Amino acid sequence: MGTNQSVPKVTAQDSAILDLKLQRDKLRQYQKKLQVVLDREHEIAKAHLAKGDKDRAVIALRRRKYQQSLLLKTDGQLENLEQLVSTIEFSLVEVSVLHGLKQGNEVLKEIHKEMNIETVEKLLEETAEARAYQQEIDDMLANNLTLDEEDAVQEELRELQALAALEDPSKYAELPKLPDAPTQEPVAPISNPVPEEESRSERVAIPA
Amino acid sequence: MALSTHTTSSGYLLPSIHSAPPFFTQQPNSSTQAVVTEHWTRIILGYARHRRLFFLRIEDAEVAGGDWDEVFRNERINRRLLPDHLQTILASMAGKSQAVYEPPKQTRAVLLYWRRPEEWAEVLHTWVSSTGHMNTIMTFYEITDPPVESPLSGIPEVLLRKAIAILAKTGRAQMIGAADGDGVRFFASGGK
Repeated sequence: MGTNQSVPKVTAQDSAILDLKLQRDKLRQYQKKLQVVLDREHEIAKAHLAKGDKDRAVIALRRRKYQQSLLLKTDGQLENLEQLVSTIEFSLVEVSVLHGLKQGNEVLKEIHKEMNIETVEKLLEETAEARAYQQEIDDMLANNLTLDEEDAVQEELRELQALAALEDPSKYAELPKLPDAPTQEPVAPISNPVPEEESRSERVAIPA
Repeated sequence: MALSTHTTSSGYLLPSIHSAPPFFTQQPNSSTQAVVTEHWTRIILGYARHRRLFFLRIEDAEVAGGDWDEVFRNERINRRLLPDHLQTILASMAGKSQAVYEPPKQTRAVLLYWRRPEEWAEVLHTWVSSTGHMNTIMTFYEITDPPVESPLSGIPEVLLRKAIAILAKTGRAQMIGAADGDGVRFFASGGK
């Protein structure tokens, strides 16, 4: 077979696994053969019985029983073999997992080497400094506006708002203030009759 | 007699030409014979695919009771394919790589290529990857006789070896030799 360079080499492990699997296949084939024998003996017993030859039928059935016990035994062996194969394959998976973990660990170490705590602290400090500097510049620029200019800005904002209100009054127009709806049941005003006589004191002509 | 298609008991639909008596006779005119051969080739490969038959022997046309009776015998018109005629057809198929003599150096049995070895290689690779057998070592028996029916069940070892050889060329398979039997390992793609 063309042994390509890109394919991994066949290790002793690989051949061992292959040998195991071949053994397993042989057992399976053997079981198949046994099954055929079982069926055949059954047929033979049936044929003998049909002919009335009971002894021969019994012998055939006995042979069948023996083959059946063999089949059971091979079942056990097959199970053993298959377990071994599974265990080996699982161990191989574990090995590759371990290898992967190792590699990951190496990479992590490399990365950490480049990124120790001191440098991180220094970097953070520098960032904070730069931010503070920027803040200072912002403040300075903001303070540069005189009060007059600030007023002009506010005026412009008002104009813009008015314009916007014109375009879309519903959004900006202030609703006229309405009185609050009463929350209590209206009650008839309690008449508080003031005796008119008292207020309108009769002018009495005072005789001169 | 009107020519009509016929569905065999195994469910294969034979074309109407199969009911034409001259179709079963070897034609003296070579161009007529070429057309007949082409039709026979199509029927044989189609039937082989339908029943998953891999081998065809001259004997199948000589003796009744084989897998090919439905195709080589047409009781409705009382005709059968003669062994000599079949031999001509097989020679033509072998010439067009639609079949190969197996074992080689004789002309009485062929391995039918209703899938070319290249196509089998793809089927094999797809099956291996879908069953998660990549990178594990497999025996041939495991492939040809899996516990669960697969598209490769029953594939002859000769054909399997050809397919594996094709995969090996592109680095997608690797043969492993052992004391008593060979194994194979598949890879997802060429190289690791």
